[in-house]
Amino acid sequence: MRESVFQGLGIVSTLAYGAVIAWLYATAPRSLGEVATGARVAAGTYQVDQARFDAGLRLFRSEQFRAARDEWGRADPAQRDPRTQFYIAYAFYREGWGRVYKDDVLYRQGIVAVNRAIAASPAATLVVANPTLQMHTAAELQAELEQGTERHMGDLNPLKLLEPRK
Amino acid sequence: MTDPRGQRAFIHYVVLPMLLLTVALLGGLRVAAADHAFLFVAPPLVTLVLAGLLMALFVRGGLVRPSAWVRADRPLLGNLAHILTLAALFAASAQAFNSVLPEQGLLHWLFAFFFLWTLWNNQFAPFDPARLLRSLAVLFGTAFALKHMLLAGLQPAETGWMGRVAAALLQGVSLGTLDVPAFAPATGYISFFTVVLYVGCLMLMPAAPGGDEVRQLARAG
Repeated sequence: MRESVFQGLGIVSTLAYGAVIAWLYATAPRSLGEVATGARVAAGTYQVDQARFDAGLRLFRSEQFRAARDEWGRADPAQRDPRTQFYIAYAFYREGWGRVYKDDVLYRQGIVAVNRAIAASPAATLVVANPTLQMHTAAELQAELEQGTERHMGDLNPLKLLEPRK
Repeated sequence: MTDPRGQRAFIHYVVLPMLLLTVALLGGLRVAAADHAFLFVAPPLVTLVLAGLLMALFVRGGLVRPSAWVRADRPLLGNLAHILTLAALFAASAQAFNSVLPEQGLLHWLFAFFFLWTLWNNQFAPFDPARLLRSLAVLFGTAFALKHMLLAGLQPAETGWMGRVAAALLQGVSLGTLDVPAFAPATGYISFFTVVLYVGCLMLMPAAPGGDEVRQLARAG
C-alpha cells in the first residue's frame, strides 16, 4: 500500500480517537453503562425505556413519588428526555407541596429537573398533555417551584392555606 | 502486509498515534474506592508545563527532530499526520505526568516540583536518545512507586495500626495537607499500564520519520 494511504488512515483514526477521548473527559461517564448511554445520545439513537416510564407514571398516580422518580431515573439515565424530566420535576413538586409549608429541598431539586426539561427541548415550549395534571407546561411548573422557594409577606396570608395542590 | 516498508508506515502513522492517545485516555482515569465508578481527571495546568519541558528535552536529547518531522518539501498529508503524532505525544506526556502525580494537596506540589527540577536540570545535561529514554523510565517508575505503592498504602481504611501511625506522622510532616483521595486498587494497575505503554511508545518513536526507532538505537548503544 502507498504511504499516503497510511497517512490518511492515521489522520482519520487519530482525529476520531482524539474526539472520543475529549468527549469522555467532557462527559465524564462513571461506568461502562453510562459510556454506552452517552454514545447512544451522541449517535442520536437514544430512547427512553418506555416500560419503565409507564411504571413510573403508575407509581406517580398512586402518590409514590420517590419510587416514581427512581423508575423515571432508570428510564432516562442520560437525563435527556424533556417529558421524563418534566414528570420528575412534577414528582418533586407534589412530594414537596404542603398545605402549611413547602419543602425547599425538594422544590430546589424540582427546579433543577425542570431546568433540564427546558434545556432538553430548546426548539419548542414543552407541553405535557396529561389531564390528571394541573400544570401542563415546563414554564408553569418552573414558576410554581420557584415561587415555592421564595419568601415574602404574602406567605402570612391565611387564605393561602386554601390553595390547592396542582 | 508483508512489505517491511508498509509495516513500518502502518506502525508509524496508525499504531503509534493510537497508542499515544491510549496513554492520553488512561492517564487521567481513576477508579473510585467507594463505588468503583470511573473518574476522569483532566490534566492540571502543571502537567502541560511539564509536558512542554519534556518535549523540549526530546528535541535536545535527539529523541525527536522537529525539522525532519515537519518539512516544507513534504506533502501536506504527511506533514499533517506528523503534526498529529507530535500532538498525541504531547497529550500522552501530559497525561503520563497526570497519572503519577498525586491529585491534590502538598504532595501534588512536591511531586510537581520534583518533576520540574529534574526536567529543568536535564535540559542542560548531555543526552542521547537511549540515555534519555532510560532516564525517563526511571523518573516515571519512581513517581509511580511513590504514588501508587507508598502513598496508596498509607490510606487508613486499607491498613492496620502501622499504616495509621505512618499516615499520622506524614500528615504532621506535610502540615496537615496530606490529601490522598481513596482510589480502588484498579487505579494503580491502570497507571502502571499507562506508564509502561508510554515508555513503549517512546521506544517506538523514530527521531525522524523513516529513521531508526530509539529501541534500535538503544540496542546499538
